[in-house]
Formats: sequence, structure tokens, C-alpha cells
Amino acid sequence: MTTEIPVWWSRGARWLWIAAIALVLCSFWLVVRAPVEAIMGPVQKIVYVHVPSAIVTLLAFGVTFAAGIAYLSTKQWIWDAIGAASCEVGLVFATVVMITGPLWARSAWNTWWTWEPRLTTFLILWILYAGYQVIRSSLKSGSKRTISAIMGIVFFANLPVVWKSVEWWRGSLHPKNVTMSPDMRQVLLVGMAAWFVFYLATFERRLRLEWIREARSREGHATADSAFLEARVR
Amino acid sequence: MIFLVVMRKDLKLFVRDAKFLATLGLFSASLVLILSVAFGPIFAQPAREAAATVWAALFFAGVLGLTRSLELEGESGAGDALRLSGADPFSLYIGKTLANFALLAAVFLLLLPLTAVFFDVGTLRALPGVLGVAALALIGYSAWGTLFAALARGLQARELLLSVLLFPSLVPLWIGAVKLTHAYWGGAPVDEVKDWVKVMAVMDVLGLALAAWLYEAVQEAAE
Repeated sequence: MTTEIPVWWSRGARWLWIAAIALVLCSFWLVVRAPVEAIMGPVQKIVYVHVPSAIVTLLAFGVTFAAGIAYLSTKQWIWDAIGAASCEVGLVFATVVMITGPLWARSAWNTWWTWEPRLTTFLILWILYAGYQVIRSSLKSGSKRTISAIMGIVFFANLPVVWKSVEWWRGSLHPKNVTMSPDMRQVLLVGMAAWFVFYLATFERRLRLEWIREARSREGHATADSAFLEARVR
Repeated sequence: MIFLVVMRKDLKLFVRDAKFLATLGLFSASLVLILSVAFGPIFAQPAREAAATVWAALFFAGVLGLTRSLELEGESGAGDALRLSGADPFSLYIGKTLANFALLAAVFLLLLPLTAVFFDVGTLRALPGVLGVAALALIGYSAWGTLFAALARGLQARELLLSVLLFPSLVPLWIGAVKLTHAYWGGAPVDEVKDWVKVMAVMDVLGLALAAWLYEAVQEAAE
């Protein structure tokens, strides 16, 4: 596979960024306009950031899982790049969830942290994918891609546990179903769209970085090979 | 039966390494001692504290066993010989998993009476139930642990990384083991927590299924 970045990609990325910034601004504006919830007051508006980031986190780790399978089947470097890029961006969104969650909890449950099923399983998820980053950065290039793909697949097993934790365990403080007024639902949907496009834009940046690294590494190998050949000829 | 040969080979390596076995036994017994002192001398909920202690000690000590089995293989060159033999990777994995299961079961059988004595819990009537819980937990632990240990083989600070990755992945198994053991030791009605048997069984099957799918790739990565 070529390591040249396609022209259509370079052009499309600019529009993606414009769309992402516009949507995120729009969603913040809607949060300001959204009705104030009767019991919790303005703090409830954290939900418009918290829920979309959580969904985008699951999506990002899902992409890492799919890319892991694709890499193991094809051994093409691009799948490894996609998996690594999505995982790193997903970890940032997961961190947003971990920050906004306690802010909500303090107001709603009168505590920053409680060992409630969804919080616990999400923390486990965060630790696993942080571990992915640490291990990937400590691996040598030979086994890096295969081990990263395997981690992306194995850690994904935790995602259904996070998703279903409110149903499987008793004592969950997270609701199984949420009823919202149409205004609130509209703001949440715009928030989801905004964070999704923001994910795509950041993912694109991160993937481009992997692409450049791959190109540099190949150039480096090519230079080293030609230097070696020159030395042999002399 | 390749897996039986591999299991016998791993068990032989464990038995020959008496120093390691003694250290593992002492380490796990010390963990039980430390936790019983931390919870005691008067136990508020002995069944709960004892269940947490026995499983925490076993999970921590187990990491030593998992990494040691790979180290021993590396030292003797048996791992390379096995890979060169062309044997089915899943058979190799099952052999190693069974050997790890036997090692962890031995540690559990050491910790169980110690915990029962220190916390004054457990009856002979509860023993079959607790052993059943232990079988479920140890199958899952050795299935996931063997896969993760093989994955961490080439890494520096692998004990640390193995703990960081393995413990979070095994949390459903650990919670299930603690809750069921607690119930069998009289802390709660068994019917209330019996759903955890399903969770643990799913974890066991999932670990084995992932290994069946991925162990060959793990071996390739380690080469």
C-alpha cells in the first residue's frame, strides 16, 4: 500500500474541521438555550457533553476492534494505523467522560465517586485502553502491530459489559431508560452529531500522523538500504 | 494428545523449580496474613472479609505463577522448540492453560484452610460449593492469564503490565468469585447471587474462545 496521502483526503479534511468546529459551537449554544431541569438545575446540562462523549468513546474503541480484525486478516499497515489512531482519540473522549461523570455525580448523588456498576466498568475500560497506549509505545516495530491488534480485539470484550452493566447488576444509579422533553432530546441529538464529527476530525489528524510516520520510516529504511549498497559497491 | 504433553512438560518445570514454589506459597500465605490483620482482630463480617481475602491473595499470587511459567520456558528453550515443532497453537495454549490451572489450584488449596482458620469461616458442607466456585474462577483466570502472559512475553516490566491489563479484564470473574464464596460461607443467601455463575461461565468461555482465535497471532508476535 502506498504511503502518499491522497489528494481528496487533504481537501476533505479542511471541510471536516470546519464542520466539526461549527457543530461543537452550535451544540454549546444549544446547551445554553436548553431548558433548565427542575430538580438538578443547570448542572444537568453536563449530560449534553457526557453522553455524547461516552457514545463516541464506544464507537472509537469499536473502530479499533474492527481495525484489529482487519489487520490480522490482511496484515496491511493502514489497519494498524486506523486502530491506533481511533484508540488514542477514544481514550481522550473516555477521559472527558471520566471528568464530567464525577461533576454530575457530586451534584446528583452527593459524592464524586461511587462503586456503581457503570462507573466501575467504565473505569476498567479506561485503564485497559490506557494500558494499550503504554504497551504500544513500549513495543518494538516487529511485533507492535500484531500485539496492538490483539489488544484492540481482546479489550473490546469489556464494551458490552459497560453497555449492559445497568441491566446486569442491581444498584445501578445510571438510568436504564431516560425520558426527556423534546427540547432536551433535540439538544442531545445535536450534541451527539457534534461530538461524532469532532471525533472524525481528530481521528483524521491522528491518522495522518500515523501515515506520515509510516512514510518517514519507509524513507529511512530506503536511505539506510541505499547507504548500505553504496558502501558495498565501494 | 499434544496438550497433555505440554501440560506435563510445564508441570515438570514447576516441580523442578522448588525455590519458586516455596516463594509463591509464602507470598500468597503472607497476603492472607496481612489482609486478616488489616481486617481484624475482630471481624465485622467474617464471611465477606474472608472471601475478599482469599480471592485477592490468589489473584495477586497468580500473576507470579503466570509470568514464571513463561520465564522457565524461555530459560530452557522449550518455548522455541514447541513453536518449531509445528504443533497446533491452540493445543499448546490448552496445555499451558491446564498447567497454570493446576498451579493456581494448588495455591488455592493452600490458601483455603489458612483463610478458614484465620477468619473462622466455612464448614465442610460449604466445601463442594466453594470448590465449584474455585473451578469456575480458576478456569477463567488461567484461560485469560495464559493468553495475556503470552502477549506480554516480549515486554519489559511484564509483571507490571500483566497486572495492569489482566486484573481489570478479570473484574467480573473476581466479583463473582467473592460474592459466591461469601454466600457459601453463610454471608448471604446463595439464590441471591446465583446469577454470578452465569457471568463467570461466560467469562471462561469468552477467554477460551478469544485464545482459540488469537493465540496463533500471539505466538507470531512473540517470535
